[in-house]
Amino acid sequence: MRLLGWLLALGLIGAGGLWVLARPNPLSESDVAGLTGDAVKGEAVFWAAGCASCHMAAEATGDAQLVLVGGQRFPSDFGTFIAPNISQDPTHGIGGWSLLDLANALKRGVSPEGQHYYPALPYGSYAKLQMQDVADLYAFLQTLPADATPSQPHELGFPFSRRETIGVWKLLFLTEDWSLPGNLTPTADRGRYIAEALAHCGECHTARNMLGGMDTARWLAGAPNPSGEGRIPNITPAALGWTAPDIVAYLTTGFTPEFDSVGGHMVHVVENMARLPESDRVAVAEYLLAVPSVE
Amino acid sequence: MKTITMLAAALAVAGFAAFAQDAEDPFADTVEMRHGLMLQMATDLGTVGAMAKGEVAYDAAVASKAAANIAAVASVISMAQWPEGSQYGAAADSYALPAIWATPDDFLTKIADLNTAAATFQVAAATDVDALKTGMGALGGACSACHKAYRQPEE
Repeated sequence: MRLLGWLLALGLIGAGGLWVLARPNPLSESDVAGLTGDAVKGEAVFWAAGCASCHMAAEATGDAQLVLVGGQRFPSDFGTFIAPNISQDPTHGIGGWSLLDLANALKRGVSPEGQHYYPALPYGSYAKLQMQDVADLYAFLQTLPADATPSQPHELGFPFSRRETIGVWKLLFLTEDWSLPGNLTPTADRGRYIAEALAHCGECHTARNMLGGMDTARWLAGAPNPSGEGRIPNITPAALGWTAPDIVAYLTTGFTPEFDSVGGHMVHVVENMARLPESDRVAVAEYLLAVPSVE
Repeated sequence: MKTITMLAAALAVAGFAAFAQDAEDPFADTVEMRHGLMLQMATDLGTVGAMAKGEVAYDAAVASKAAANIAAVASVISMAQWPEGSQYGAAADSYALPAIWATPDDFLTKIADLNTAAATFQVAAATDVDALKTGMGALGGACSACHKAYRQPEE
């Protein structure tokens, strides 16, 4: 009986400790001190990171892609996430945010109010962003229009409706380490930054474990489509079987080597990649071919 | 004699099976026609794509012929190949989504956009390899705009 009491006490201390560890862990003012953003460079970050693909209105084309009104729905095993308004509206968007607020959202998954964001915002990848890129992106976002459409709440069931669970997720999975570690050629290194941090390829192309963390041992080896239909393909070299020029052409035109054309959400990704300099697409190709093949 | 009887019987069964299949799947020919159009498109894209990738040398005459074929196939595409009901899950081998018939005007707009892109690409393909490379991006955009909205992603 006494033993049980001790175990209970230890359990409570453990839970309390976890509770403390799982609190939001924001950056501080000194992390962004002295940074000046360049909106022109920030536009390249914006497209490479695919911000508009999720935060624009569904089916938006042309300049409407720059109105980051939110509202697109993203079904998952945990419930349906609804992209929020991140336009420059000071009330309904992020027009009132500081650079530190943006850096905390992208690199730590923490809101200006100190609340955890769900990792549907892919900060599991954006955590690897360079702070200068965040500053450039911040400068570019400030040039975009405001829209006063209110954000919709996510549609999640218990326990995932409790944001405390996200703190535990972060303890387990949030890292700034590369999924493909080690020294790479300068070209592949640039590709790694684009693929792992900016374009967050792993978020869809890597399977997740039961707790929603990416299974980095099977990095980019494909995953069930969270929408419930079909699979997101394995893009490790042997499974894909494409050459570097094949990958570059695909990311430029959307044509596979068999001249089928891209479909689904990947259409957005190709549109985004096509806006980058060709050297960046070459870099992504070199990186992808350096990833270990997984059957 | 016996062999001939059996052969005739087998042929009759095979003929009936083919007939029965058509009767069961009224869209079999339609879906095959769609796939044939896309395959012809892919073949001509392969010709210009190999030049864009630098796998074969640019040849204005060959590129122009392929681009003309692409424009010709694009001009054939209409709602006629997508009769209502021939969708994914209902017609065998079909990946067409029911959204086609929910928003037919948009579907037709995307077909018109494809024809515009194909016409622009004919000019680009006849110019030089750089123009051809750039042109393929716009053409690919027209293909994927329709595939994104109206095609069920494959496994």
